[in-house]
Amino acid sequence: MHSEPTNLLQGTLDLLILKSLATSEMHGLGISRRIQQITGGTFVVKPGSLFPALHRMEEEGWTSSFWGDSENHRRAKYYRLTKAGRKQLEAESRRWGRISWAIAQALETP
Amino acid sequence: MPLLAKAKSLLRNLLFTRRVEEDLDREVRSHFQMLVDERIRAGMGRKEAERAARMELGGAEQVKEQVRQEQLGHWLHSVVSDCRFGLRQLGKNLGFTLTVVLTLALSVGANTAIFSLVNALLLKSLPYAHPERMGTIYTRIAGSSEASDKRHNVNGEQWELLRDNVPALISAVSGGGTSGVNLKAGSHVEYVHDGRVSAHYFDVLALEPVLGRNFLEDEDRPHGPKTVILSYNLWRNVFGADPGILGQAILLKSEPHTVVGVLPQGATTPLNADVYTPLEPDREGEGRGTNFRCIIRLRDGATWQEADAQVNRTWSSRVGRYELADNPGAKVSYHAVPLQKAETASLRPQVLALMVAAGFILVIACANLAGLTLVRMMRRTPEVATRLALGASGWQIQRQFWIENLLLALVGGALSVVVGFLALRELFLLLPEHFLPVASVPLDSRVMIFTLAVSVLTSVLFGMLPALATRRVDLRSSMANRRVAGVGSLRLRQALVAGEVALTVVLLAGSGLLIRTLIHLETLPPRCNPHGVMVAKASLDDVRYHDPATFRKLLDESTAGMRQIPGVENAAVGLSLPYEFTGNDWVTLSDGKEAGHQGGADWVYVTPGYFETLQMPLLAGRVFTDADGPNAQKVAVVNQAFARKFYGGTNPVGRYIDKDTLIVGEVADVPLSSGLDPVAPLQTEETMYIPAAQVDGPLLALLHVWLQPNWMVRTAGAVAGLTGEMQRALEKADPNLPASGFYTMGDLLARTLTTERMEVALLGAMAALALLLSAVGIFALVANMVAERTREIGIRMALGSSVGRVMVQIGRSGVAASLLGLVLGLFFSAGALRVMRSVIYGVGVYDITTSLFVVLTLFVITLLATLLPTLRIARIDPARTLREE
Repeated sequence: MHSEPTNLLQGTLDLLILKSLATSEMHGLGISRRIQQITGGTFVVKPGSLFPALHRMEEEGWTSSFWGDSENHRRAKYYRLTKAGRKQLEAESRRWGRISWAIAQALETP
Repeated sequence: MPLLAKAKSLLRNLLFTRRVEEDLDREVRSHFQMLVDERIRAGMGRKEAERAARMELGGAEQVKEQVRQEQLGHWLHSVVSDCRFGLRQLGKNLGFTLTVVLTLALSVGANTAIFSLVNALLLKSLPYAHPERMGTIYTRIAGSSEASDKRHNVNGEQWELLRDNVPALISAVSGGGTSGVNLKAGSHVEYVHDGRVSAHYFDVLALEPVLGRNFLEDEDRPHGPKTVILSYNLWRNVFGADPGILGQAILLKSEPHTVVGVLPQGATTPLNADVYTPLEPDREGEGRGTNFRCIIRLRDGATWQEADAQVNRTWSSRVGRYELADNPGAKVSYHAVPLQKAETASLRPQVLALMVAAGFILVIACANLAGLTLVRMMRRTPEVATRLALGASGWQIQRQFWIENLLLALVGGALSVVVGFLALRELFLLLPEHFLPVASVPLDSRVMIFTLAVSVLTSVLFGMLPALATRRVDLRSSMANRRVAGVGSLRLRQALVAGEVALTVVLLAGSGLLIRTLIHLETLPPRCNPHGVMVAKASLDDVRYHDPATFRKLLDESTAGMRQIPGVENAAVGLSLPYEFTGNDWVTLSDGKEAGHQGGADWVYVTPGYFETLQMPLLAGRVFTDADGPNAQKVAVVNQAFARKFYGGTNPVGRYIDKDTLIVGEVADVPLSSGLDPVAPLQTEETMYIPAAQVDGPLLALLHVWLQPNWMVRTAGAVAGLTGEMQRALEKADPNLPASGFYTMGDLLARTLTTERMEVALLGAMAALALLLSAVGIFALVANMVAERTREIGIRMALGSSVGRVMVQIGRSGVAASLLGLVLGLFFSAGALRVMRSVIYGVGVYDITTSLFVVLTLFVITLLATLLPTLRIARIDPARTLREE
C-alpha cells in the first residue's frame, strides 16, 4: 500500500511538477516523462503519486486543467500553471535553493 | 484567490460527484492508452505493451482511490457513504435496530423527564430580577445532640430586629402559607387564597405592580389601614380587568379593603395567592411564636458577609432565644442561603435520588445495548474480514461501526424527547396544583442539550466494549470459518446481564420499600370511619365571626340544616379532620402528681356530633353535648396518645388541665398530618378536643387566620346533589359564606400523601423499566446462544439428547447470570437503601417482604425471559442443521 510521503518529498514532487509545467502545458504522462528527463532519470514518478498530486495542486489553485488532443490524437487532460502556480513555483524554488545550500553546507563541514 | 479556488473545488467535489468521477476515470484511461501507445511506438506487441502499461499504472482503481483520498471534502464524502451503508445495514437488521432504538428512547426518555425536573427545580434561576441576590436565613445549631442547619420560621422579635438592624438587606416576611378568606364583589362571593405579606415583600421579589403600588410601611402596622393587592388572574376574572379598581374598597373577610395594586400577569410568588394583604407583624399575637417566613434581598453595594454578620449580631442579642431553650448549651448562628436552594430544599434529595435512579436505567440500557452490539459485531465478522481483505483499513471499519452507533443514538435520542415529554405530562396529571415550587417544567434548550449529550454518551458507552472486544479480527480464521463462536464473549455478555440485573434489584427493592410505605400510610388504622363522609371548608377569618355568639349561631344553624338533608345521618363542624394538619399549643397539667407538667399537644375545636359523625370510638367517659356551652364547666376530650404521654396510659377522665378544664372523655387515636414532631406525613399525635362553644373571641380570630374549619356530613350511601344541599344549608345560615369546595375523606387522604404517591409512581415506573430492560437483556443472551449453537444443539439431539435437557443446558447461561445479578443486587441494596431511611415509614430498610417480592419478581422474569427463546430449540431439526454445514 502507499506510504505517506514526507513533507520534503511531497514538496519536491510539487516543485518538479510546477517546474515541468513552467514552459508549456502538459498532460499527466508528459509531466511524468518531463520530470524523468530533467532530473536525468533520477525521479520516476508513478501514476499513483502523480495523479493525487496533480489533483491536489489543481484544488490549491496552482494549476488549471482542460481536455485537449495529444500528439497522437488521443483525448488527454492537460494541465497549465496559473498565476498562483507561478508564484508558488518561485517560492518553492527559493525554498529548495535554501535547503540544498544548507544541506550542502552541512555535508561539507568536516 | 486560492481560497476561492478551494471552495469551488469543494463544491464541485460534493455537488457534481459523478462528473468529477467520470473525469477522473477518463483521465486514468487516457493515461493508460498513452502508456500503451508509448510502448507500441518503442516496438512492443500490443499484448505485451498493455501488460507493461498496466504494471506502470499500478491498478486503475487504486490510482483513482488515491486521488479521491486527496480530494477536498473526501472525508465528508466517506462519512456520508458510511451513513448510507450504515442505514442499509440497520434496515436489514430491523429487530436489532428496533430493540436498540426503543431501549434508547425509553431509557434516555426517563433521563430527559427527570433531568427536566432537576433543571426546573435546581438549575433554573427563580423568575425574578437578580435571583442571585435573593435568599433566606438558615439557623445553624451546633454542639448539641440535635445539630441542624435549616430554614426556621421567625418570630416577631426576630422580624423587628431583622427589619431595623440589618441595613445590608431588604427583608420581608409572610405568614406561613396562604389562608382561605371570603371575597365579596357585588353579589358574587368567593373563597380565595390570601397571602399575608409584610411591606417590602414585593420589593424583595423585585415585582412591580402593573397597576398601583406595593404596600407602604404604614399599611403594615397593627391596626393600619386595610389594603389589598390583587393577583392578575383574580383582577381579570372577578373584576373584569377594570383599571378603575385602584382606590376602591372590596369586601374581604367582610371588611372593606382598599385595592392599592395589581400584580403583573404571570407573576409568581412563593405563596401563589389570589390576593395579598398586609401581614402587620409585631411581637404580639402570632408574632409571639415563630410563625413568619422570611425572604431577603441583598442591597446594592452590600455583601453577604456583611449581611450575615449583621444578622448574627442583632439576633444573638435577643432576650428570648427559643433555639437555646430547646438545645441548652448549643452554638447557634445564622447565615443567608440562596432562595432557590431554600425553596427546593425539601424536594432536593428526592429529585437527586430520582436522577440517580435514572442514571441506573441508563447504565442498564448501556449494558443491554453493549451485549446486543457485541453479538452483532461477532455476526458481522465475515463481512469485516471481507472488507479488510478488499483493502479497508482498521480505522475505516471502526468508523463504520461508530457511525452506525451514532445513527442509532440520534434516532433514539429524538424519540426519547417524545418519551420524556409524555412522561412529564403524565407526572403533572398526578400532581396537585402548586405542588412544585415552580410554575412549569419546560423542555428547554438545556434539557435538549442534556438529552443529546446523554444519547451520544450512551452510544459511545455501548459501542466501546464491542469495539474493544473485536478489534483484533483474525482475517484468515474468520474467512475460513465463516462464523465466530464467541465463547469468550459469552462470559462478557453474562457479566453485562448480571450487572444490569444487580442494578434492577436495587431499583426494585427501593420502589418496593416506597410501595410498602405508601400502603402502610394508606392503611393506618383510621380509628374512625372515613367512608360516606363528605366535607367542605369555609373561611371564618371574617370580622363577623370574631364574636363567639355569632360563631356559635352559625355552627348550630348550619349543622342543623345539614342534618335535615334526606339521607344525611349526622353533621358536625371541626377545626380540622383526620389526615389533616391542625393547630397545636402548650398544655399544663393541673392536678395530681403530674401537676405543673407541661407539653405540646395538637388542638381541635369540635361541635357536639363530631365524634359520632366520624364514628371515632369513645374509650372512656363521654363525648360533648349541647350542654357544654360557653358558660358551663370547661371540658376537653383527649385521645389515647395524650393519655399515654401525660398520664402514663392511666384513665385521664376526671383530671384537670390548664387550671380549670376538666377532661371528660378519651377517644381513639386518628392519624393526622404531623405538626408537633414531623417524622412521617401521617401519624398519631397527642390531641385534645375542645367544644367549639367554649373557644373565646381573640383565640377564634387568631385560629381562623391560619385554619379554615370543616363542615362534615355522614351519609349511609351515595346522596344525589349532596354537595348542593350542603352549600344551601351553609348559605341559609350565612348567605355570604362561600365553601372552598367539597371533598371526601378519601380525597383528603390522597392529598396528604401526594409526595409519597409521586415517589412511588416515579421510582416504580423506573424499576419497571429496569425490569423490562433486564428481561430483554436475558432474553437476548439466551436467544443468541440458541442461534449460535444451532449446529451444536443439532448434534446433541442427533446423539439422543432430549429437547428438555438441551433447553436446560442453554437456558442455564441466562439463569446463572440473573442469579449472580440477584445476589449482587441484594448485597448492594443492603448498603444503598440506607439513604432511604428518611422517606420510609412503618417499614425497615431490611424488609423481608420487600426482599421476597424482589426475589420472586426477578425469578418469574428470568424464567420467562429464558424460557421463551429456548422454546425455539424444540423446532430445531437435527438432520437439517447437520446437512447445512
